[in-house]
Amino acid sequence: MDVPREESASDFPIRCFSCGSVIGHLYEEYQKKLKEGKSSKEALDELGIERYCCRRMFITHKSVLKELSRFHGAVG
Amino acid sequence: MKPKIEILEESDFKIRFILKNVSPALANSFRRAMKAEVPTLAVDYVDFYVNSSYLYDEILAHRLGMLPIKTDLEKFNMQNECVCGGEGCPNCQISFRLNVEGPKVVYSEDFISDDPEIVFAIDNIPVLELFEGQQLMLEAVARLGTGREHAKFQPVSVCAYKIIPEIEITEDCTLCKDCIEACPRDVLEAGGDKIAVKDVLNCSLCMECIKVCEQNAIKVNETNNFLFTVEATGALPLRVVMRKALEILRSKAEEMNKIIEEIQ
Repeated sequence: MDVPREESASDFPIRCFSCGSVIGHLYEEYQKKLKEGKSSKEALDELGIERYCCRRMFITHKSVLKELSRFHGAVG
Repeated sequence: MKPKIEILEESDFKIRFILKNVSPALANSFRRAMKAEVPTLAVDYVDFYVNSSYLYDEILAHRLGMLPIKTDLEKFNMQNECVCGGEGCPNCQISFRLNVEGPKVVYSEDFISDDPEIVFAIDNIPVLELFEGQQLMLEAVARLGTGREHAKFQPVSVCAYKIIPEIEITEDCTLCKDCIEACPRDVLEAGGDKIAVKDVLNCSLCMECIKVCEQNAIKVNETNNFLFTVEATGALPLRVVMRKALEILRSKAEEMNKIIEEIQ
C-alpha cells in the first residue's frame, strides 16, 4: 500500500544508479506530492520520471542519515 | 544519399531525432562519441579541511563528483594538453569552496565557485544534511574529462538509437487482423480494405507480426534510418554535445586517413 513516509531528501542519490540521469533535485518535490495525497505513480508521472530504473530510486529510498540523526548528541 | 538529421522533438534536457541515410557503424560511432568522447567538467579532487558530518569524506567526494557542472568548453583545456603540463592551473581546473555549520541542509547552490559563470547546473540538489554542531569546510576541484574515463564526465545520461524499419504488406494479405492483435507496440491498424502502418517509429522489430501471419504477407525490413533518443545532464546543451561529437568523429577520421596514407 502507498503510505507516504517522512524521509530525508538530503542523502537521496544524486544520479540514478543505472542510467545516470540527474534526479537528486526531484525528491523533495516527490515527497510534497505524496503529502498532497497522490500515489507514487501519479507523483512520478508528474515529475516526468519515465524509466523504471529511476522510478525505483524514489520508491525504495530509505535515509540512513535520518536514522543516525536520532542518536545525535547521545555519543561524542 | 547524404546523411541527414531530422529533429522530432527538442527540450532543454531531451531530444529525439532521426539520423537518415547512414550505416549502422556511423550511427553507433555517433552514439559512442556523444557518450564517451565529449568532455565536460566534474569534481575530481576534494580537499577536506573539516568534516564532522555523519558522512565519510569519500562518500561526500563521490556525491560531489555526481553533480553536473555548467561547462564552457572554450574556457578550459584538457589537463594533459594544458600549458601547465597537467599540474593544474586556471586554464584547466576550477575550484568550489564550501564552509558551513549545522543545522543546515547543504544544496548544490551553496558552493562558491572561482568563476561565477561556471556553477553547478542544477542549483537545488541536496548534498547532505548537517546537524547541530557539525561543520564542513572543503575545496572541490573540478577538471575536464571524458565519459571514457569516468561516467561522471558524460554530458548525456540516456543516449540510444534504434533502427526505423520499413513495413511492407503484400497483396497476399487476407485481412485476418492477426498481426494487429499480435503487435505489442500498436504499430499496425486496419485502414479500410487493407492493413496500414500507423506508427512506424514505435516498432521495436520484434517480428511478432511475421510469426503470426499465415500468408507470409508482411515484411519488416531494416533501413539506414535511426531514431535517436538523447537526454542531457545539464553540463552541456544537447546541440553542443551533438556538434562536438561530430567534430571529434571528423578529427578521428582525418587522423586515420593520415595513418593510412603513411603506410602506403
